[in-house]
Amino acid sequence: MSQLTINNVRIAGMSACVPSTVEDNLTLPIYKDEHEAHKVIASTGIERHHKVEPGTTASDLTVKAVEALLENMGWESQDIDCFAYVCTSRDYIAPQTACVLQDRLKLRHDCCVFDLPFGCSGWVYGMSIVGSLMSHGTFKRAILVAAETNTQNRNPRDTAVRPLFGDAATATALEYDPEQSRPMNFMYGVDGSGFEAVWAPYGGMRHPVTHEALEEKEVTPGVFRRGIDMVVNGMDVFGFAIKQPPRSLKELIETFNIDVDSVDLLLLHQANKFIDEKIRKAVKIPAEKTPYCLEEYGNVTSASIPLTMVTRCREQLSGNEKHCVACGFGVGLAWASMEFYAGQVKFSDVIIY
Amino acid sequence: MNITEFIENFASQFDDTEPDAFASDTKFKQLDEWSSLTALSIIAMIDDEYNVIIKGNDILNSETIEDLYKIVEKQQ
Repeated sequence: MSQLTINNVRIAGMSACVPSTVEDNLTLPIYKDEHEAHKVIASTGIERHHKVEPGTTASDLTVKAVEALLENMGWESQDIDCFAYVCTSRDYIAPQTACVLQDRLKLRHDCCVFDLPFGCSGWVYGMSIVGSLMSHGTFKRAILVAAETNTQNRNPRDTAVRPLFGDAATATALEYDPEQSRPMNFMYGVDGSGFEAVWAPYGGMRHPVTHEALEEKEVTPGVFRRGIDMVVNGMDVFGFAIKQPPRSLKELIETFNIDVDSVDLLLLHQANKFIDEKIRKAVKIPAEKTPYCLEEYGNVTSASIPLTMVTRCREQLSGNEKHCVACGFGVGLAWASMEFYAGQVKFSDVIIY
Repeated sequence: MNITEFIENFASQFDDTEPDAFASDTKFKQLDEWSSLTALSIIAMIDDEYNVIIKGNDILNSETIEDLYKIVEKQQ
């Protein structure tokens, strides 16, 4: 089993930015009647999501989130030793977006920057990668971004996915702090045989963009997509999501001898309520310890866990240290679970772009 | 597992369709209430009751409840 423990690193601050346009699921023109819309909302728990205007990228939201984070922390952009950008909706095919953001954010020229093109598991993976780099002790301050504009790479006429996904950017400030930090523990998982459960077939090197890939087709009744649009095969994702995340969390709990009763917060990737509640019940953590922000923001892939922390856990995590367990899971298929402690975290208000 | 119990469990995933509308030869995807959400409920029920995670294709390739039952039975 691949497991990892990281010492000497703590979460110091968090911020988020969401676009101002809100799409309300109840009034989406994709349902035959309001009864159907209510049914979908009841089952997914997702009432609305924020959506960028075409032309606004995840990096635009990121700049606002990082500026708010730095200001709130009293950090200068020149203080940042490492900057990681978890995102699949990149600005350009090349270069990686983190390079462009170095200049836009006025990070140092010797700052260690890179993209991490993860989806829903990305914040947990990113915490382990940036945390691990920092644990050596020479990087003192780092920023981990988890951002996505899901509404731009999915087809608005794909009725199965439009109500579920939203756009957001989050920034997590990490600090090297041997005095006040507690170990962070990680477990990983991947099953590439399921890569077609969530994927964008065209636009990469395997299937380059062709004229045909830009043509919209009705793939199943009422569902329209282009070759370059993201495909989400709901049934296969669901089958995966009710199996692997509970298994991964149980492995984490067993491997690191976690007393489940001592867990204050279960932070789940905000897939949908139906899936997340099944995971929560499987690991026997009470509902009041499992915050959700999906009703307001939908599934914002890698930004889901940090956005939940910023919008729903601010009071708890600003105070004394809390014992947290998190699980991110999705596209890949990839998943990761982590145990960590967080307290005295500095949160900025959610920025509206 | 037996087919009678499977049909009962299957039927209980529906809110608006009467239980007597379900039999082993019911073409479930033709039911008015059938939707992608019902499909998820069926997948969850089969996991809960039979400890089997079926694939999306298992549902797509099944016509009747009995077709699906046989797939689950084989994987148990």
